[in-house]
Amino acid sequence: MIISKKVEFSASHICRAPGLSDAENERVYGAAANPLSHGHNYIVEVAIEGEPDPVTGMILDLKLLKNVLEERVLSVYDHRLLNREVPSFGNLVPTVENIAIDIWRRIERHIDATGRARLYSVRVHETSELFVEYRGGA
Amino acid sequence: MVYVSRKYGFSATHRLHAAGLSDAENRAVYGKCNNPFGHGHNYEVEITVAGPVDAVTGRAVDLAALDALAAREVTGPLRYRNLNEEVEAFRTIVPTTENLTFEVDRRLRAAWAGEFPAGVPRLEKIRIWETERNICEVSGL
Repeated sequence: MIISKKVEFSASHICRAPGLSDAENERVYGAAANPLSHGHNYIVEVAIEGEPDPVTGMILDLKLLKNVLEERVLSVYDHRLLNREVPSFGNLVPTVENIAIDIWRRIERHIDATGRARLYSVRVHETSELFVEYRGGA
Repeated sequence: MVYVSRKYGFSATHRLHAAGLSDAENRAVYGKCNNPFGHGHNYEVEITVAGPVDAVTGRAVDLAALDALAAREVTGPLRYRNLNEEVEAFRTIVPTTENLTFEVDRRLRAAWAGEFPAGVPRLEKIRIWETERNICEVSGL
Protein backbone atom coordinates (compact mmCIF):
# COMPACT_ATOMS: atom_id res chain seq x y z
CA MET A 1 0.00 0.00 0.00
CA ILE A 2 1.17 3.50 -0.80
CA ILE A 3 0.45 6.67 1.16
CA SER A 4 1.45 10.18 0.09
CA LYS A 5 2.10 13.34 2.01
CA LYS A 6 2.21 16.78 0.47
CA VAL A 7 4.30 19.73 1.68
CA GLU A 8 5.20 23.06 0.15
CA PHE A 9 8.17 25.34 0.05
CA SER A 10 8.95 28.56 -1.76
CA ALA A 11 12.36 29.16 -3.26
CA SER A 12 14.20 30.90 -6.03
CA HIS A 13 16.57 29.42 -8.58
CA ILE A 14 18.59 30.20 -11.68
CA CYS A 15 18.64 27.64 -14.48
CA ARG A 16 21.94 28.16 -16.24
CA ALA A 17 24.47 25.43 -16.96
CA PRO A 18 28.10 26.61 -16.70
CA GLY A 19 29.05 24.36 -19.64
CA LEU A 20 26.66 26.12 -22.03
CA SER A 21 26.91 29.50 -23.75
CA ASP A 22 24.50 32.32 -22.87
CA ALA A 23 22.56 31.69 -26.07
CA GLU A 24 22.34 27.95 -25.36
CA ASN A 25 21.22 28.57 -21.79
CA GLU A 26 18.48 30.86 -23.00
CA ARG A 27 17.35 28.33 -25.58
CA VAL A 28 17.36 25.40 -23.13
CA TYR A 29 15.83 27.10 -20.09
CA GLY A 30 13.94 30.05 -21.61
CA ALA A 31 12.87 32.64 -19.05
CA ALA A 32 14.20 30.38 -16.27
CA ALA A 33 17.76 31.29 -17.38
CA ASN A 34 17.39 34.81 -15.93
CA PRO A 35 20.71 35.33 -14.09
CA LEU A 36 18.94 37.42 -11.45
CA SER A 37 16.82 34.37 -10.50
CA HIS A 38 13.08 33.79 -10.18
CA GLY A 39 11.00 31.73 -7.79
CA HIS A 40 8.21 29.21 -7.39
CA ASN A 41 5.88 27.78 -4.79
CA TYR A 42 6.95 24.17 -5.00
CA ILE A 43 4.67 21.34 -3.93
CA VAL A 44 6.39 18.12 -2.89
CA GLU A 45 4.45 14.87 -2.74
CA VAL A 46 6.29 12.06 -1.02
CA ALA A 47 4.86 8.56 -1.40
CA ILE A 48 5.92 5.75 0.92
CA GLU A 49 5.14 2.06 0.60
CA GLY A 50 4.42 -0.40 3.38
CA GLU A 51 1.73 -2.42 5.15
CA PRO A 52 -0.59 -0.97 7.79
CA ASP A 53 0.35 -1.94 11.33
CA PRO A 54 -2.31 -4.36 12.65
CA VAL A 55 -2.70 -2.38 15.87
CA THR A 56 -2.63 1.25 14.69
CA GLY A 57 -3.95 0.70 11.16
CA MET A 58 -1.21 3.02 9.90
CA ILE A 59 1.72 2.32 7.59
CA LEU A 60 3.77 4.91 9.42
CA ASP A 61 3.10 7.57 11.99
CA LEU A 62 2.76 10.48 9.58
CA LYS A 63 4.10 12.89 12.18
CA LEU A 64 7.39 11.08 11.71
CA LEU A 65 7.26 11.60 7.94
CA LYS A 66 6.33 15.24 8.48
CA ASN A 67 9.32 15.68 10.80
CA VAL A 68 11.69 14.10 8.28
CA LEU A 69 10.39 16.43 5.56
CA GLU A 70 10.65 19.48 7.77
CA GLU A 71 14.16 18.70 9.02
CA ARG A 72 15.69 17.29 5.84
CA VAL A 73 13.94 19.29 3.12
CA LEU A 74 11.91 22.32 4.17
CA SER A 75 14.47 23.69 6.62
CA VAL A 76 17.07 23.48 3.83
CA TYR A 77 14.98 24.64 0.85
CA ASP A 78 12.28 27.00 2.08
CA HIS A 79 12.78 30.69 1.25
CA ARG A 80 16.25 30.08 -0.15
CA LEU A 81 18.08 30.77 -3.38
CA LEU A 82 18.72 27.13 -4.25
CA ASN A 83 21.86 27.77 -6.35
CA ARG A 84 23.64 29.60 -3.53
CA GLU A 85 22.18 28.27 -0.33
CA VAL A 86 21.65 24.55 -0.90
CA PRO A 87 25.02 22.79 -1.19
CA SER A 88 23.67 20.08 -3.52
CA PHE A 89 23.31 22.71 -6.21
CA GLY A 90 26.84 24.11 -6.00
CA ASN A 91 27.69 22.31 -9.26
CA LEU A 92 24.29 21.09 -10.33
CA VAL A 93 21.55 23.10 -12.03
CA PRO A 94 18.52 23.19 -9.68
CA THR A 95 16.03 22.06 -12.31
CA VAL A 96 12.88 20.45 -11.01
CA GLU A 97 14.38 17.10 -12.09
CA ASN A 98 17.45 17.60 -9.92
CA ILE A 99 15.35 18.92 -7.03
CA ALA A 100 13.29 15.70 -7.02
CA ILE A 101 16.45 13.56 -7.03
CA ASP A 102 18.04 15.66 -4.28
CA ILE A 103 14.95 15.38 -2.07
CA TRP A 104 14.95 11.59 -2.59
CA ARG A 105 18.59 11.40 -1.47
CA ARG A 106 17.93 13.57 1.58
CA ILE A 107 15.03 11.52 2.92
CA GLU A 108 15.37 7.92 1.67
CA ARG A 109 17.50 6.55 4.52
CA HIS A 110 15.37 8.26 7.15
CA ILE A 111 12.22 6.59 5.81
CA ASP A 112 14.01 3.23 5.61
CA ALA A 113 15.29 3.69 9.17
CA THR A 114 11.71 3.57 10.47
CA GLY A 115 11.63 -0.12 9.58
CA ARG A 116 7.98 0.40 8.67
CA ALA A 117 8.08 1.80 5.16
CA ARG A 118 10.27 2.46 2.16
CA LEU A 119 10.30 5.52 -0.03
CA TYR A 120 8.29 4.90 -3.20
CA SER A 121 8.39 8.19 -5.12
CA VAL A 122 9.08 11.89 -4.86
CA ARG A 123 6.97 14.21 -6.97
CA VAL A 124 7.84 17.88 -7.22
CA HIS A 125 5.40 20.31 -8.81
CA GLU A 126 7.17 23.46 -9.96
CA THR A 127 4.04 25.04 -11.43
CA SER A 128 0.52 23.74 -12.00
CA GLU A 129 1.72 22.81 -15.49
CA LEU A 130 4.99 21.04 -14.74
CA PHE A 131 5.91 18.28 -12.35
CA VAL A 132 8.53 15.57 -12.06
CA GLU A 133 8.43 12.15 -10.45
CA TYR A 134 11.49 10.19 -9.32
CA ARG A 135 11.32 6.63 -8.05
CA GLY A 136 14.99 6.11 -7.28
CA GLY A 137 17.65 4.37 -9.34
CA ALA A 138 19.63 5.65 -12.29
CA MET B 1 15.24 7.90 -14.86
CA VAL B 2 12.75 10.61 -13.99
CA TYR B 3 9.22 11.20 -15.18
CA VAL B 4 8.41 14.75 -16.28
CA SER B 5 4.80 15.80 -16.77
CA ARG B 6 3.75 18.93 -18.60
CA LYS B 7 0.21 20.23 -18.95
CA TYR B 8 -1.32 22.06 -21.93
CA GLY B 9 -4.82 23.28 -22.62
CA PHE B 10 -7.19 23.79 -25.52
CA SER B 11 -10.89 24.48 -25.89
CA ALA B 12 -13.03 22.72 -28.44
CA THR B 13 -16.54 21.63 -29.36
CA HIS B 14 -17.74 18.07 -29.71
CA ARG B 15 -20.90 16.05 -29.95
CA LEU B 16 -21.14 12.46 -28.81
CA HIS B 17 -23.26 10.56 -31.29
CA ALA B 18 -22.53 7.03 -32.52
CA ALA B 19 -23.63 6.40 -36.11
CA GLY B 20 -24.43 2.77 -35.28
CA LEU B 21 -26.97 3.65 -32.60
CA SER B 22 -30.53 4.96 -32.91
CA ASP B 23 -31.33 8.50 -31.79
CA ALA B 24 -32.99 7.12 -28.65
CA GLU B 25 -29.99 4.93 -27.88
CA ASN B 26 -27.60 7.84 -28.42
CA ARG B 27 -29.60 9.97 -26.01
CA ALA B 28 -29.58 7.15 -23.48
CA VAL B 29 -25.83 6.49 -23.80
CA TYR B 30 -24.49 10.03 -24.03
CA GLY B 31 -27.18 12.10 -22.27
CA LYS B 32 -26.74 15.83 -22.76
CA CYS B 33 -23.45 15.22 -24.59
CA ASN B 34 -25.66 14.04 -27.48
CA ASN B 35 -27.08 17.55 -28.01
CA PRO B 36 -27.23 17.92 -31.83
CA PHE B 37 -25.81 21.44 -31.62
CA GLY B 38 -22.69 20.22 -29.83
CA HIS B 39 -21.07 21.66 -26.73
CA GLY B 40 -17.55 22.44 -25.62
CA HIS B 41 -14.92 21.90 -22.97
CA ASN B 42 -11.68 23.37 -21.76
CA TYR B 43 -9.53 20.31 -22.24
CA GLU B 44 -6.27 19.81 -20.39
CA VAL B 45 -3.64 17.49 -21.81
CA GLU B 46 -0.86 16.17 -19.59
CA ILE B 47 2.10 14.61 -21.37
CA THR B 48 4.45 12.48 -19.25
CA VAL B 49 7.88 11.59 -20.60
CA ALA B 50 10.53 9.33 -19.06
CA GLY B 51 14.25 9.69 -19.43
CA PRO B 52 17.61 10.17 -17.76
CA VAL B 53 18.63 13.59 -16.43
CA ASP B 54 21.25 15.19 -18.69
CA ALA B 55 24.45 15.77 -16.71
CA VAL B 56 25.03 19.24 -18.19
CA THR B 57 21.54 20.75 -18.30
CA GLY B 58 19.91 18.92 -15.40
CA ARG B 59 16.92 18.33 -17.65
CA ALA B 60 15.27 15.07 -18.65
CA VAL B 61 13.47 16.69 -21.57
CA ASP B 62 14.00 19.74 -23.74
CA LEU B 63 10.86 21.60 -22.63
CA ALA B 64 11.05 24.02 -25.56
CA ALA B 65 11.00 21.03 -27.94
CA LEU B 66 8.12 19.38 -26.06
CA ASP B 67 6.16 22.65 -26.03
CA ALA B 68 6.75 23.07 -29.77
CA LEU B 69 5.66 19.49 -30.47
CA ALA B 70 2.51 19.83 -28.35
CA ALA B 71 1.63 23.13 -30.02
CA ARG B 72 2.20 21.80 -33.52
CA GLU B 73 0.52 18.40 -33.15
CA VAL B 74 -2.12 18.89 -30.46
CA THR B 75 -3.12 22.27 -29.14
CA GLY B 76 -2.63 24.15 -32.43
CA PRO B 77 -4.75 21.84 -34.60
CA LEU B 78 -7.43 21.24 -31.93
CA ARG B 79 -7.81 24.66 -30.34
CA TYR B 80 -11.16 26.31 -31.01
CA ARG B 81 -12.21 23.53 -33.37
CA ASN B 82 -15.32 21.49 -33.76
CA LEU B 83 -13.76 18.07 -33.25
CA ASN B 84 -16.48 16.18 -35.13
CA GLU B 85 -16.41 18.47 -38.16
CA GLU B 86 -12.84 19.66 -38.36
CA VAL B 87 -10.62 16.81 -37.18
CA GLU B 88 -10.24 13.98 -39.69
CA ALA B 89 -10.02 11.21 -37.09
CA PHE B 90 -13.46 12.06 -35.71
CA ARG B 91 -15.31 11.85 -39.01
CA THR B 92 -15.75 8.15 -38.34
CA ILE B 93 -15.26 7.71 -34.60
CA VAL B 94 -16.97 9.42 -31.69
CA PRO B 95 -14.83 12.16 -30.04
CA THR B 96 -15.20 10.81 -26.52
CA THR B 97 -12.38 11.62 -24.11
CA GLU B 98 -11.19 8.04 -24.61
CA ASN B 99 -10.91 8.42 -28.38
CA LEU B 100 -9.46 11.91 -28.04
CA THR B 101 -6.75 10.50 -25.78
CA PHE B 102 -5.92 7.80 -28.35
CA GLU B 103 -5.82 10.46 -31.08
CA VAL B 104 -3.50 12.74 -29.11
CA ASP B 105 -1.27 9.76 -28.30
CA ARG B 106 -1.21 8.74 -31.99
CA ARG B 107 -0.32 12.28 -33.11
CA LEU B 108 2.49 12.61 -30.59
CA ARG B 109 3.95 9.16 -31.34
CA ALA B 110 3.89 9.83 -35.09
CA ALA B 111 5.90 13.04 -34.64
CA TRP B 112 8.03 11.97 -31.67
CA ALA B 113 11.12 10.83 -33.57
CA GLY B 114 11.17 14.08 -35.52
CA GLU B 115 11.47 16.11 -32.33
CA PHE B 116 13.47 13.61 -30.24
CA PRO B 117 15.57 11.68 -32.81
CA ALA B 118 17.45 9.60 -30.22
CA GLY B 119 14.15 8.39 -28.76
CA VAL B 120 15.11 10.08 -25.48
CA PRO B 121 13.02 10.83 -23.56
CA ARG B 122 10.29 8.31 -24.36
CA LEU B 123 6.61 9.14 -24.34
CA GLU B 124 5.28 7.49 -21.20
CA LYS B 125 1.69 8.58 -20.67
CA ILE B 126 -1.07 10.91 -21.83
CA ARG B 127 -3.84 12.13 -19.53
CA ILE B 128 -6.71 14.27 -20.72
CA TRP B 129 -9.12 16.17 -18.50
CA GLU B 130 -12.42 16.83 -20.23
CA THR B 131 -13.69 18.43 -17.05
CA GLU B 132 -12.27 18.43 -13.57
CA ARG B 133 -14.09 15.17 -12.93
CA ASN B 134 -13.59 13.26 -16.19
CA ILE B 135 -10.03 12.17 -16.82
CA CYS B 136 -8.74 9.63 -19.30
CA GLU B 137 -5.26 8.11 -19.38
CA VAL B 138 -3.30 5.96 -21.84
CA SER B 139 0.22 4.69 -21.36
CA GLY B 140 2.66 2.32 -22.95
CA LEU B 141 0.87 2.00 -26.28
